[in-house]
Amino acid sequence: MIALLVALVATIQIRSQAEVERSLIGADATSLAFLIDDLHRANDSLADEKSDLGKQRAQLESGQAGAADQVLTDEANRLRAIEGLAPVHGPGVVIVIDASGLTALDLQDALNNLAAGGAEAVDVNGRRVIMGVPVYQTSGGVTIDSAIVMPPWTISVIGDANRLGVVADLMTQQLRADRRVRAATYRVEADVMIRSVLTEKPFVYAVAS
Amino acid sequence: MSSRNLASIALLAVVALATGFVLAGQVKAQLLTPSNQVARYQALVRSVQELEAANADSRRQIASLRGKIDSLESQAAAQSAATQTLRNEVADLRAHAGLVAMHGPGVEVSLRNGVPGPDIGNQTGYLVNFEDVQDVVNLLFAQGAEGMAVNGRRITPLSAFSGSAGEVVIDQGPPLTSPIKVVAVGDRNRMQAALDDPSALPGVRARQVQFQVHLTFEGSPDVSLPAYDSSLQIPHVSPT
Repeated sequence: MIALLVALVATIQIRSQAEVERSLIGADATSLAFLIDDLHRANDSLADEKSDLGKQRAQLESGQAGAADQVLTDEANRLRAIEGLAPVHGPGVVIVIDASGLTALDLQDALNNLAAGGAEAVDVNGRRVIMGVPVYQTSGGVTIDSAIVMPPWTISVIGDANRLGVVADLMTQQLRADRRVRAATYRVEADVMIRSVLTEKPFVYAVAS
Repeated sequence: MSSRNLASIALLAVVALATGFVLAGQVKAQLLTPSNQVARYQALVRSVQELEAANADSRRQIASLRGKIDSLESQAAAQSAATQTLRNEVADLRAHAGLVAMHGPGVEVSLRNGVPGPDIGNQTGYLVNFEDVQDVVNLLFAQGAEGMAVNGRRITPLSAFSGSAGEVVIDQGPPLTSPIKVVAVGDRNRMQAALDDPSALPGVRARQVQFQVHLTFEGSPDVSLPAYDSSLQIPHVSPT
């Protein structure tokens, strides 16, 4: 009788643990907590965008003379900054990486890390960089938009200086552990100036729907 | 019944009782803890689902607001040539920023998870990760892609990729998982040639061999990209 009871409890125990394991497949609680944090930040950002768009709509609906021109002018200036077509300034960080042998993939990773950290405008050695500007590996070195960028790389970034400072700190720590890197430093600045601009490229293949 | 028998029965009862308590303790300690873990896990999953629903709702609202603003701008432009000129300029800038749906010749690239391998040091190597997507997007832009979308998320000048094993987060989006489809408009012959180059995408190609990660692509005379439906804010940038 006792043996039967023990067997029963053991069976229940094993089945229960198997169920738990099945339900936890895919993501652990820590990953979910990070995901929740990311989603909160994303949703805050979306809320800001909704608020700004709501103001634009209200301004257009006001019917005031020149309201549409003002909205369109502001939008054009904002988009020109986003697309790297205008010189800009603002708080941010300046990262200097002196290395030999770093590749286009290394620079692409660095630029992506900064973008994920909230970079709003970026310049590398006097070349403006946005997503879509080709960063390419050639026999002569890494090119940005077909121009070779020789080390040391000075990456100027505008955005939330606190957030970018954390990203720059992690990046430079990791870079200093890389044998190819002679030095990797950063400084947080109250006003980073980016004077480089991109040239507008008209679409050849794409058509607005 | 002898006193000896009675003592034996009493002893058996005590042993049975003790065994019962031990078993009950075991059940309580080892069944309740997992059930608490499940409850906590389910609460986290519910939070994620609620936040993802709010995220999708915000995207719909943003798309709707942009549509209304476009309509109001169109009305204003119809009454003034100067406003129309400004609107044309903004329309072009919006198209380049990914805020306008577009179509044209291009390629569709598919990335799919492979199968887990025996390599202990790279347990998630069979999963498509954000670096894979980043590499494909960068490769296509380097080959002149004029616009791109990943699983229906339009790439903008400020786009960034992040995520953990098997998850790809683009901008403010909830994570994407395999299969991942990258659609690019541009010179499809040039993009296909770059994707065909065995020296391109070394990270994915190594894992194609090791974990059977799938990378396929196809050119098309006409692919479509949706408009960007998320935040494109630059609160820290000022014009000089």
